Amino acid sequence: MRTIIKTAAFCGLLLAPGVASAADSWGLPEEEIVRFDAKVVDLLCELTGDCPADCGAGKRQLGLLTGEGTLVLPVKNATPFSGAADELIEFCGKDVTADGLFSTNRGYKVFALQFVREAPDGKWRRANRFLPKWAEANGFDPKGEEVKQWFRNDPEVRAVLAADGVLGLGPEADEAYRKSQE
Amino acid sequence: MKRLGAWAAAAGLLLLAIGLGNGAAAAGGERVKVTGEVIDTWCYITEIMFAEGSAHHQCAVWCAAGGVPVGILGDDGKVYMVLKVGDDATSVANPAVLKIQSHRVTVEGDHYRRDGLDYLVVSQVVGDDGVVKVNHDEWGIQPFGE
Repeated sequence: MRTIIKTAAFCGLLLAPGVASAADSWGLPEEEIVRFDAKVVDLLCELTGDCPADCGAGKRQLGLLTGEGTLVLPVKNATPFSGAADELIEFCGKDVTADGLFSTNRGYKVFALQFVREAPDGKWRRANRFLPKWAEANGFDPKGEEVKQWFRNDPEVRAVLAADGVLGLGPEADEAYRKSQE
Repeated sequence: MKRLGAWAAAAGLLLLAIGLGNGAAAAGGERVKVTGEVIDTWCYITEIMFAEGSAHHQCAVWCAAGGVPVGILGDDGKVYMVLKVGDDATSVANPAVLKIQSHRVTVEGDHYRRDGLDYLVVSQVVGDDGVVKVNHDEWGIQPFGE
């Protein structure tokens, strides 16, 4: 059961029923369901002083800097196999209310963003902007079936896996593995 | 001469301020050399699935393409979040980084420790051994088996 929950969580299937509600549990290690206010910052800027005006225009990882000065790392959003930068870039330099999950494991504490709004009283939305952005960037219908499995339809991914194989050991290793499973 | 010195000092402070930009907490990193596997940080840290080597390669490529932070699982056991490689500051879905997912690499760069997390600004990749952790016979292909 735990495996099922974990897989569902990974796929971003366990979403809160309403955008104003707190995040749903994904069954993560040392999970904390949290809502907090923070400023959206460019991590590279925050750490090194290399600071483009637009937080890197979506090409850089973003952080959440709390009023107490804690730098939170949002690693995940609410769609499958995708991160939080696409969800937060529009708030570069602004304060947001972030709603999601902390998980602490293997010595690290990371954050999964499920909902976000501009603080203090912006409109809540799910952290699922990645999919329409991906669809637009790659010429797909945002409501099409291809988008649900974006990771299998992404041209860059397909090119890398075609060249290196799903195992990363070359197409021949993939073929040998498939035969071994027949 | 005194006035010239004051202007020079002011200009120096101004340049320092511009250089630091908005990164209020910016400080120098520690020069390091790190050897380890290029990983998907979400799957590895949360252990939501087995997330190393050939078994997880495809998923690691998916997550890197989706903008999940890419890290290096160092031989020291630390997970270094990679924020920059050389002159390339793209750390979200960087096509060049997709191509080295699951590889065992050696890099040189600056390490920043902040609020319990380890970040790495890579100045150069000095070694790339490809995928050396061959574990798909044991773990299958994560997470869907294909």
